[in-house]
Amino acid sequence: MLDSFNQTPFLHIVITVGSFSILLIGLVGALSKKNLFKVFLSLAIAESSLFIYFIGMHFSVGKVAPIVADGVTRFGSDMVDPVPQAMILTTIVIGIAVLSLSLSFVIRYYKLTGKMRIDEMDELGENR
Amino acid sequence: MSLKQTISIRSIVVSFIVSIMIILLLGILLNFTHGLEPTLGSELLAINVSSTQSANSVTSVVTYYRGFDTLGEVTILFLSIFGVSLGLDSFDKKLNIFSYENTLLKIAVDTLFPIIILFGVYVIIHGHLSPGGGFQGGVIIASAFLLMFLAKGDDFKINHKILGLIESLSGAGFILIAILGLLIIDRFFANFLPLGELGRLFSGGVIPLIYIFVGVKVSAEMTALLEYFIRIKDVR
Repeated sequence: MLDSFNQTPFLHIVITVGSFSILLIGLVGALSKKNLFKVFLSLAIAESSLFIYFIGMHFSVGKVAPIVADGVTRFGSDMVDPVPQAMILTTIVIGIAVLSLSLSFVIRYYKLTGKMRIDEMDELGENR
Repeated sequence: MSLKQTISIRSIVVSFIVSIMIILLLGILLNFTHGLEPTLGSELLAINVSSTQSANSVTSVVTYYRGFDTLGEVTILFLSIFGVSLGLDSFDKKLNIFSYENTLLKIAVDTLFPIIILFGVYVIIHGHLSPGGGFQGGVIIASAFLLMFLAKGDDFKINHKILGLIESLSGAGFILIAILGLLIIDRFFANFLPLGELGRLFSGGVIPLIYIFVGVKVSAEMTALLEYFIRIKDVR
């Protein structure tokens, strides 16, 4: 019975629905939360859905990781594409860099003004 | 202010539509096929043994075929740390707010710290043989320093001159290897060392050297970042 789940189209549907849900959670958090920390962390969550989608859709049943290790002796067509994994590695590092820079700006903003919520921001005078 | 926050219907609907559009657009644009047609990845897998002799083909893509991309990535990480530390006067006037008194943690950290550092070094050095590499091992080493920050509190201080020296020297070494490839062979990030034998520790030419430099640089940058976010309270 478990073999019917171990099929490539079924796994792709699961990955698509899962990454869609993570993106939805992240975007709802980014749009509805007022705390600046929660906004940026929600954007990081929404970003992680992209990683899952990109890696998962390049997987198909029966393929192995593109590494020559125990039991795998040569590079061949039974391996998954190594290029998306390398690109996602780049993307994760850039995501960490952007998240840390934005969170440090939030901390600097809080130290300067004492405010952390979006609806209390009034530095440009738009609420007066 | 109540703890219960309301989430408006509009934001949920907007997020739903945007998520569907992003997923559908990505799926159409990337045109996922299931290994029927030759892709860039299968071409790279075919020439991987003859051109790099690296057992981990993801590593050879990251550091060799797309080495210029990794240089930009490391530069972005450096610029982010630079932006974080802009306007930061000194760590001497900062207090660690996340540490707490815990005897078990204080005793265990002396045993765990060298083991975690050793594991990070292993992951960095074996980046061309097994899953892992410079970025992953660098983050593991930074997690060892995070454990020290949590356990020791304000007693544990990092010499930032040495940290900056390590970071800039490893970044310079990364570019130096690329320029040596330009001088000795004919192009940036060319492989000027003997390739060795597939699966050995000394194989892959310049790939282990590049990943060691990337690992040292990432561990130094991540440690500086952790210290910024942990020692955050001003001394009053």
